[in-house]
Amino acid sequence: MEIDHKDTLLKFYHLTLLIVGLFCLYLIWPYISNVLLLLVLAFLFTTVLLPFVDWLEGKIKSRALAVLITVVMLLGGMGLFLGSFGVQLSQEAITSYEQFDKEGLVQAIEDLRSSVVEKLPGFAQNILESSTDVSQSADKIGSFVDTVLSSLGQLTSSLAKLIFFSAMLLIFTIIMLYEYHRFKRTMMTFVPNRYFEMGLRLVRNIEKHVSGYLQGQLLAATSVAILSILGLWLLNTLFNANLSLIIFIGIIAGIANLIPMVGPFAGMVPAILVAVMDNLQNETAISHTLFNFIPIPSPFFILDIILMFIIVQQIDNNLVTPKVVGEKVGMHPMLVIIALLVGANVMGAVGMLVAVPAAGIIRVVFKECVWAINNAHLM
Amino acid sequence: MENTIWSNIFSGKSRTQSREALALKHVPVFENLNNYELEQVKRLVHHRSYQPDEYVFRRNAPGEGMYIILKGNIEILDQNENSLAILEEGDFFGDLSLLDKEPRSAHAIARDHSELLGFFRPDLETLIKRKPDLAVKIILNLAGVIGERLRKTNELLAEASS
Repeated sequence: MEIDHKDTLLKFYHLTLLIVGLFCLYLIWPYISNVLLLLVLAFLFTTVLLPFVDWLEGKIKSRALAVLITVVMLLGGMGLFLGSFGVQLSQEAITSYEQFDKEGLVQAIEDLRSSVVEKLPGFAQNILESSTDVSQSADKIGSFVDTVLSSLGQLTSSLAKLIFFSAMLLIFTIIMLYEYHRFKRTMMTFVPNRYFEMGLRLVRNIEKHVSGYLQGQLLAATSVAILSILGLWLLNTLFNANLSLIIFIGIIAGIANLIPMVGPFAGMVPAILVAVMDNLQNETAISHTLFNFIPIPSPFFILDIILMFIIVQQIDNNLVTPKVVGEKVGMHPMLVIIALLVGANVMGAVGMLVAVPAAGIIRVVFKECVWAINNAHLM
Repeated sequence: MENTIWSNIFSGKSRTQSREALALKHVPVFENLNNYELEQVKRLVHHRSYQPDEYVFRRNAPGEGMYIILKGNIEILDQNENSLAILEEGDFFGDLSLLDKEPRSAHAIARDHSELLGFFRPDLETLIKRKPDLAVKIILNLAGVIGERLRKTNELLAEASS
């Protein structure tokens, strides 16, 4: 009887502790939410990079050096990608600027203005002339400068925040990569003896599944990127599509592919935009038909690009992903849509990118926890 | 009654360090490792404390690895709770679980306040990736221990049948 009473008291104590804990978490949530997001992202990066760091440590016998090499390679790759994109984009801008008929455009605008003014009735012409009043122009210029300055301020602050966030993410990831095994061992000391081996199994399975899932996603994205680059290159070579920035477009398509359902379509958009921009004055491109021999009009190669992306998706879904990932880590489409909506609501585009891997991880953790609960009687 | 969770978290590191190295050195699985390698293994093992009559593991529970007794006595019991063996300081048990994924074949229970070192399959798998040379040494030692046990079993079988 006394034991029952003690048990009830203990349960009540635990419940009170839980409620107080949740309330405290609610109070401090606004202050820690960003740090938690950083930790989650750092954990995701760590999970993807950990097998490589462990393998490299085995080869070069130094954990610190293995982490350093991995981070330098990662940053180097990103720098190369962004740098080459920047160079290509600036070259594009210079070429477009040089090709641009400035004097002709100025003359055309002037002619248009004169013809409009001539056709307007007398009072409208007066209004038009009075609107060029110096004071009004000064006001307009003043407000324009204000807008530009405030936008510039916002841009600088957002850029500073992004740089700070990225630097923190990098530091967290480096620390986690270096200390991961020690950190895991320390966490295991909190597990009671009864559930210790179960805990070890749980952690190992979660690690294995999460790492496999993220690496699978990454490999699928890489294959889409490579196939897209190849496809765009073929369009350039075989049909003179005159597409620039194909490496950048391919990588964007690969990254977009991480977002199921929406991603494959989002990946096509930059390609179509670039195709239109690059071929604005190209008569052949405007009158182009699908693959040059199918009598379906495909101005600016738009249909060719869409078809190419559909073929890439089919190759990836049916050949590359099942071979590379081994088994499909698929989720029910309904769950995918819910995850996407929640991700979009919470964090916008980044949320959509993170939502499905996060849902996949939650699913794995949930499955392992259910297994542990079902087998807890063995402990 | 002492809480084992707290004693697991706050077990004195410096006090137990030399004891851990010594205990590891005397286990055949780690016997030919040099000091540096023993240090690496020491960083991987888990130090656990058990109260008298607390189960280390139960029969049929999924087994994850082996234990080395630093202090105390551990009794191995069969399914009918009959005593099979009482293990003492320096002894080890559960080593088969490092290699196979079969459930535990017996109960292990602490008979007095005991301190154990646990070396588990996930640790061995990590070691295979991070320090393959060391992992190979440990696996070969483990194979030696199991081979020795098999040889003794064969001898016993031969004696029994003759």
